[in-house]
Amino acid sequence: MGGGAAGIGAAGAAKQASPDARVQVFTEFEDVGYSPCGIPYVHGREIESFSGLILQGKEFYEKAGIDVRYETTVESLDVGAGEVVLAGGERVGYDALIVATGFTYADPGVPGSQLDGLHYVKNIRRAMEWDPILDQAKKAVVVEASPLGLEMTTALAHRGLETHLVDAHPWALSEVADPDIAAPVQASWAEMGVQMHFNTRLEAFLGSTTVTGVRTSEGEIEADVVVVCTHKTPNNALARAASIEIGSTGGIVVDERMATSRAGVFAAGDCIEVPQGSTMLPLQGLSGSHAYSQGKVAGTNAAGGQRAYDPVFVPWGMVAGKWMIGGVSFGETTAGALGIPFHMGVAEGISRARYYPGLHKVRVKLLAEPGSLRLLGAQMVGGEGIKERADFLAMAAKKGITLRDLATMENVYSPPIGALNEPIALAAQNGLARLARGPGS
Amino acid sequence: MSFSEWLRTNSQHYLLEASEREMAKRYLGTAPPLPGGGVGPLFWRRVFVPAYRVVPWAWRRSMMQLMPGSHRRHWSYRPLREGRGTPEP
Repeated sequence: MGGGAAGIGAAGAAKQASPDARVQVFTEFEDVGYSPCGIPYVHGREIESFSGLILQGKEFYEKAGIDVRYETTVESLDVGAGEVVLAGGERVGYDALIVATGFTYADPGVPGSQLDGLHYVKNIRRAMEWDPILDQAKKAVVVEASPLGLEMTTALAHRGLETHLVDAHPWALSEVADPDIAAPVQASWAEMGVQMHFNTRLEAFLGSTTVTGVRTSEGEIEADVVVVCTHKTPNNALARAASIEIGSTGGIVVDERMATSRAGVFAAGDCIEVPQGSTMLPLQGLSGSHAYSQGKVAGTNAAGGQRAYDPVFVPWGMVAGKWMIGGVSFGETTAGALGIPFHMGVAEGISRARYYPGLHKVRVKLLAEPGSLRLLGAQMVGGEGIKERADFLAMAAKKGITLRDLATMENVYSPPIGALNEPIALAAQNGLARLARGPGS
Repeated sequence: MSFSEWLRTNSQHYLLEASEREMAKRYLGTAPPLPGGGVGPLFWRRVFVPAYRVVPWAWRRSMMQLMPGSHRRHWSYRPLREGRGTPEP
């Protein structure tokens, strides 16, 4: 159930594990196998057209022996009978079911949510229909500085619209990123003409039939287009109705095989929760790469294979404004919220040799467990190389690498791609030096 | 919404708000979050957050791990034990 990254990953893996298995995918949408994560970049004109986001055509799945049933809504699950019930009443039996129903955007909970013209970035066809409106639009409002909100704010500003970002928190992406990481992004948005409204609550969408603006705690903002980028919440109505166990995040409870609480039912993607690797506390709503990997595990096991998924350390990264930001697991804000004790090392380095054109600053913050100095998390902002550092640091955290290890790490030195001193090593060295100076330094 | 979902949603919100306030003190030029009004938030801000912070992290984590969720199912992966890192040379 579901034709996103998790569903398609699961279908492919099931077919690979058991080539004779009959694999069906039910999706309520017109397409599968495209990258919804690329949609903001088409709106922003960084990518020329939506066709580039289509990874595989319908004939690919036919040839692969995967029966995709498009525009088919599953209305309920009869787990006891081993059947899914489709709209119209057709019942389809299964030996194993994979729930990959993804997410829905959190309801903003304000009047006007039913107005035409509110845009939710999810379905590529709706995005194709909406995109030409941007050619005439002058003014846009983005609701919430979530990861998608950051991407859409940047995209709409890049497209030349007067863009307003409305968020109830004090800085961008505050539930993930620290203020010193968000600050350069916000400064670059200001350069791009973005008007930021932080600490500002959304109170209503305005308009009679079509949205014409928003009312906030700080006043009204007129707009030709409004993009709703609220949090991703797990789409689990069917799973709940089928008495599949749901965890504290609202995600489906799974084990390392992606097996749910009901025999023969697996789940993957944004509809599930998985433990974070150092705390073993559950998280929900990760990235497309997590969803795809989980789908492959679920598909393999559903088809009789053996594959396990590990708890996550969540490397993340994105382009926002004129910067790249990223991190691993915890930053100061999130560790502080949970009350996780940490020791920190911070450094500002450069991405290339100091004399090489196009070099960028790279700020790295490393959070380590007091005593052992094992890496707990990281936050970064810079002009390039953030993704690779986040991937590396996630593996470092998983393997128990310490600040001492990172302080003496080897690094590539090549003027166009790497400086003499790696910013990660500098941050670790600074963390150790701070420790040597004693408390309060 | 189950009790554990309600508890997580609210505790996450108010613990984050308290942390944002501390970050605003730590980083010059950062605005603190605006406190929303009402009686409900008073409990979370004045009772829950201070009480949560009095308890040592290891206990807090143990209590959170008692909540239902995926972490209670089987995972072969075991997190590294706290306090065990590379010995200082």
